[in-house]
Amino acid sequence: MNKETIICPCEDVTLSDLESVLSLGAETFDDVKRFTRCGMGPCQAKACFYQVSKMISEQKQIPLSKIPYTHMRLPLRMVPLESLLGEEKEKSGKIPISEGHANE
Amino acid sequence: MNNQREYEVIIIGAGVVGNGIAYHLSEKKQKNVLVIDKGFPLSGTSGATQAWVWVHGKKPDSYAYFTKCSAELYPELQRKIGDIEYARTGGIEPFFSVEEMEEAEKMVQSQSKAGIPVELLSREEVLKKEPYFSRRVLGATYSPVDGNVNPFKLLEKYIKANRLQGVTFSFYNKVIGIDQTAGKFVVHTQKGKFTAEKLVLAGGLWTKELGAFLHISVPIEKVRGQIIVTEPLKPFIHHTIGGMMRQMQCGPVLIGYSMEKVGYDRRSTLDIIQETAKFGIQYYPDLAKANVVRCFSGIRVVPEDGIPILGKVPQVDGLYIAVTHSGVTLSPLIGTLMSELIMEDTTSISIKDYNISRFSKQPV
Repeated sequence: MNKETIICPCEDVTLSDLESVLSLGAETFDDVKRFTRCGMGPCQAKACFYQVSKMISEQKQIPLSKIPYTHMRLPLRMVPLESLLGEEKEKSGKIPISEGHANE
Repeated sequence: MNNQREYEVIIIGAGVVGNGIAYHLSEKKQKNVLVIDKGFPLSGTSGATQAWVWVHGKKPDSYAYFTKCSAELYPELQRKIGDIEYARTGGIEPFFSVEEMEEAEKMVQSQSKAGIPVELLSREEVLKKEPYFSRRVLGATYSPVDGNVNPFKLLEKYIKANRLQGVTFSFYNKVIGIDQTAGKFVVHTQKGKFTAEKLVLAGGLWTKELGAFLHISVPIEKVRGQIIVTEPLKPFIHHTIGGMMRQMQCGPVLIGYSMEKVGYDRRSTLDIIQETAKFGIQYYPDLAKANVVRCFSGIRVVPEDGIPILGKVPQVDGLYIAVTHSGVTLSPLIGTLMSELIMEDTTSISIKDYNISRFSKQPV
């Protein structure tokens, strides 16, 4: 691993991004997440949680088991907004918005 | 953190309000500032918001004007502390019924008189500005001064600038008592005692408990807002959509309208999330197929009469308070005015209407 190693592939967060927030005094995964977007992408921290927690544990000398888990929220995996409508469903038109990432 | 124990000013609370004050104080070279927080920045209300910089429609009109003064400070703040993704998108608050339109007309008239740039948009004008908006819209109110900011970046840049300007931070350090001896405040924390001549209570939701240490009653309420976050989408919502939603610069759409008095309960609940999804799709029908990545909720602090509590606390010499809803919108102005008050004992814009003394029942 070096400074440019990507720890969160969803949001392109590198090791040096994480070190910068740890140096401000972050102690939990969610502290790091809010400052870097690490874990905010589609996988919701499934890929990066362990790696980041290990970094916190080593840097702060806190046992890994004492690092709180990231706050899980619904939905557990991505679902279309309309699936949350319950019974009524609105008719939707063409989809201008599902053609890929905003920056593409 | 260094081992210093004495400061000129201690600010309790490292959210958008506390950091805004610390920034303006340290910018003016008042070096000895300590900011204490019981957690890490962004773990409370400042990190759980859509972060609108919203002006038009706020009541009363004088308060809308006050928020306009703050919105106008954002471009300069961004120039000074760095990219915080502040965008003056313009704000659109749509209406769907004749009754709502009549209300909107009245609001536009009275706010225009108060100096707020606001106008009424026809259905066609709304659709021209927001081509993907629902065809069911009747019209909207619009102000060019409304916008939004990235609250994560705002806090990060504030903290980095504040550290460069000599501010000391103490995170994960809960205040467990405050008293006064020999004209100084003694702040007891989990990490020991700190003293200062001046003390600022900017603890957001937790300001009530801080006030109680000094026998000050702080009349605030807790209000939960639940928000849906979509996957990143192509830019298609160009304005901040009042009362409901916006699109972040990195693509996700944030949708949320709810206000619930449930104490400090940050859970997401399916009923509100379903209702929120319904509104989102009613506003932008094409959102139906967009994926939801996450929901979150934030507990906002709202003073009992809805307007900010700012300024000196009359009963206690050297004590200041800044607690408010819309902390993101007001942060640059509160920072500016509170630092003026602390250093020069006066403010460039009157904050008399916002003094905590308005809540006291005793005749003066």
